[in-house]
Amino acid sequence: MAAVLVIEDDDRIRLSLALALEDEGYAVREAPTAEEGLIAQRREPADTVLVDLMLPGIDGFECIRELRRDGDVPIIAISARSDTHDIVAALEAGADDYVVKPVEVKELSARMRAVRRRTRTAASPVSALVFGELEIRPEAGEVLRHGEPVAVTRTEFRLLCELADHAGRVLSRQQLLERVWEYSIGDERLVDVHVGRLRQKIEDNPAAPRHLVTVRGLGYKLQR
Amino acid sequence: MAGFAASALLLSTSVALLSYELTRRSLLAERERTAIRVTYFDATVVQSGLASERPDIVDVLRSLDTGAIRRPVLRRDGTWYARNADAGVTSAVPESLRQLAEQGRPGVQRVRVDGHSALAVAVPLGGSTVFYEVHSLQELEKTFRTLALVLALVGGATAVAGAGAGWYVTRYVLRPLTSVATAAQEIAGGDLTARLDPATEPELARLASSFNGMVDQLSRRLERDRRFAADVSHELRSPLQTLAAAASVLAKRRAQLDMRSATAVALVTDEVARFQALVTDLLELARGDQPPERTAVDLADLARQVCRSRGLPADVVRVDGAADPTWRVDRRRFEQVLANLIDNADRHGGGAVAVRVGHAAGVRYLEVDDEGPGVSAEDREAIFYRFFRGRPANARGDSDGTGLGLALVAEHVTAHGGHVLVTDRPGGGARFRVELPERAS
Repeated sequence: MAAVLVIEDDDRIRLSLALALEDEGYAVREAPTAEEGLIAQRREPADTVLVDLMLPGIDGFECIRELRRDGDVPIIAISARSDTHDIVAALEAGADDYVVKPVEVKELSARMRAVRRRTRTAASPVSALVFGELEIRPEAGEVLRHGEPVAVTRTEFRLLCELADHAGRVLSRQQLLERVWEYSIGDERLVDVHVGRLRQKIEDNPAAPRHLVTVRGLGYKLQR
Repeated sequence: MAGFAASALLLSTSVALLSYELTRRSLLAERERTAIRVTYFDATVVQSGLASERPDIVDVLRSLDTGAIRRPVLRRDGTWYARNADAGVTSAVPESLRQLAEQGRPGVQRVRVDGHSALAVAVPLGGSTVFYEVHSLQELEKTFRTLALVLALVGGATAVAGAGAGWYVTRYVLRPLTSVATAAQEIAGGDLTARLDPATEPELARLASSFNGMVDQLSRRLERDRRFAADVSHELRSPLQTLAAAASVLAKRRAQLDMRSATAVALVTDEVARFQALVTDLLELARGDQPPERTAVDLADLARQVCRSRGLPADVVRVDGAADPTWRVDRRRFEQVLANLIDNADRHGGGAVAVRVGHAAGVRYLEVDDEGPGVSAEDREAIFYRFFRGRPANARGDSDGTGLGLALVAEHVTAHGGHVLVTDRPGGGARFRVELPERAS
């Protein structure tokens, strides 16, 4: 049974989410603060973490950064505001996706399934894709740069594989949202922020990318 | 300014013409009186000269001290007598004056001699003798020319001065008012940052500062209202989250409940869902007047995605002709425009039968057709109001929706500089049409 950690300071929301998610088949762990959540996650890692952004003490953004430092656990931010600023900040801190309160439990469950996927949807039996100094091993779930492993999250890995599968061709933000996040219609900033994070890890100069390039007005492509 | 110049020119021209005419008349009359007086004096001299025995008429005429401006002639018994130098003058005496004088009556007449105007004066001396004098008006003509020139100059100067006054008025009195009008227009158009600069219009500093004060107050009030709506919606989110999660737990167990409880749970679940939609729409409305974040969006593609996400076949979406379906709009907001129009068709029109993207005559349009009962003419404006509830016979906003869907459509489209309207679909049903000016999309 997949385990989910819910870090939410509002007791009633936490309790109701726990009940509803258990109905969806998750083993739910609860934490009312970021501090308690981080300890719980280090002691016994859950498969997915839901983080409310407005927490007392350490706030949600810092909590996401800490969780990300520890590993690649899928993180979904729960925001009480749909303001641009909060959501982009949460994604930049390392969240894989976000939902805005009030969210339907079915929707939340679908988001959790999408970010937990380890491999890409269209699996082609290729052991390694090489882009200059960059090597992607879809089956092993590894990315090597100059032969050294690069630590990428699952979402970043799926994004990279999707672009690598269509090497040299442009994928629009909406296509990437569909294939990586399973959104029929989604927020394009998800793609932009993840591409930015990926560039930090795989490009020599992230400000002037050589492999993962932006095609103005169309989307992104991966090239040698 | 041109108006000022034109009226100044008109006024000065009339004044100049009037003064010229009055002066000319009075000078002419004066000159005529003088001419008559002088002629009578000369006539007396001539008459006394003729009184002698066998007078030499030409000598008598020569004895007159006439200078160059008046030339005497005498007609006696049908013969003209003139000084040698004045030989041609006789022809200047008009026939009518001659006949009058020969009947014994004196007369005066304006004539032209050698292309100049002159005055012919006739004084009968008794018998068949008439004394004539032709007075040249050349000097007077010169005076008139000078007068005309001076008046024309004065008129021109007045017109220029009028134009100057007009320029001054426009520059210092009317232009500041124009900037007030422009600012007011901008504010009415939704730009609450428009202000007047009191420094550039020192004459209107007080007006500018009170105008700015009024706008400040207005925008603070609007901002307060908007924040209140946003705050209320935010505060509703947390309890709604609890309700939504708890309701889903209850809904899962509906089968284990008795009929009454199951019905109650179904009601709670439905209403929580509607409540959620309402809060989301209210928040959207609260920030709806913010400027759109425009990017290139393939509207046909977006429409197909919206259709797919609602289980509609994507082939209801069509691009008219060779229109470019890429619009420069806020993607999120146009997704909502499409979703709300399609949901509206679904709820009240039996589902969308066509979604068209196209452009015509400088306008980009998006149409959503349904085959429902249509919208009655009197509701076609009100249907876009918040919480509009249709007439019972033709209800469009019923308990399913939030009552804000079409209002949001209108708000998003207006924020993009366009408008939305509803008409009849040929063949029955309603047609919702969004139009954006080409330059703004």
